[in-house]
Amino acid sequence: MRLYDIVVLVTPDLNDEDATKVAAEYKKVLTDGGATVVKEEPWGKRRLAFPILRKREAHYHYWQVQAEPAAVAEAERRMGLSDQVLRHLAVRVDEELKRSAKMAERLRVKAAKRPPRPAAPPAAAPDAGPAPVERSES
Amino acid sequence: MRMGGGSGRSSGGRGGAAGRDGKGGPRKKFFVRRRKVCKFCAEKLEYIDWKDVKLLQGFIPERGKILPRRISGTCALHQRKLQTAIKRARSIALLPYATD
Repeated sequence: MRLYDIVVLVTPDLNDEDATKVAAEYKKVLTDGGATVVKEEPWGKRRLAFPILRKREAHYHYWQVQAEPAAVAEAERRMGLSDQVLRHLAVRVDEELKRSAKMAERLRVKAAKRPPRPAAPPAAAPDAGPAPVERSES
Repeated sequence: MRMGGGSGRSSGGRGGAAGRDGKGGPRKKFFVRRRKVCKFCAEKLEYIDWKDVKLLQGFIPERGKILPRRISGTCALHQRKLQTAIKRARSIALLPYATD
């Protein structure tokens, strides 16, 4: 099982309900393939950054699912065939999230190890101050 | 030490090639350049989310191109992640490929 981010853009010709129904079809394909939906966010009708098939907006539907690759591939294949889906994107995110969590952890450990820094700079500043003044006088 | 934006003219007139060439060569001082830091390193954002349009939009100038790291100061690692994030966002029309 892998974690995927999936976004589907449904035509603006349909109203909200129908668009959600269309999107739910693909969600069903996923869940039938053994997937579990972790997060579900309808982003609603959004303006597209550029026209797709002469349409300027679309219904965005976003899910984060825990699924087998085969199920995602099948859902993507069907999305590609549909006329009601303008665009779709499925991205595997589990590895990237794991890696970034590890990096964040490493940064935190490093920060904890570093000696507290406020002691040094105030001491250095007064020393540096007088030196140029003397030179300019001589 | 890295050179900043494109505005690195040291002296007027021709023969700019000699003047522009070095990093910290003998050039007239005109302004102190602010040291650029990688935004993602500074804020400890490790995962660059391609769904976060607001964040990505900061790296898209008017023309719609990806802001080069020579300008933004992003480190190589994060620029690479930023690049894939922007390209993903473009593919689903969250960001433009080009604007005119």
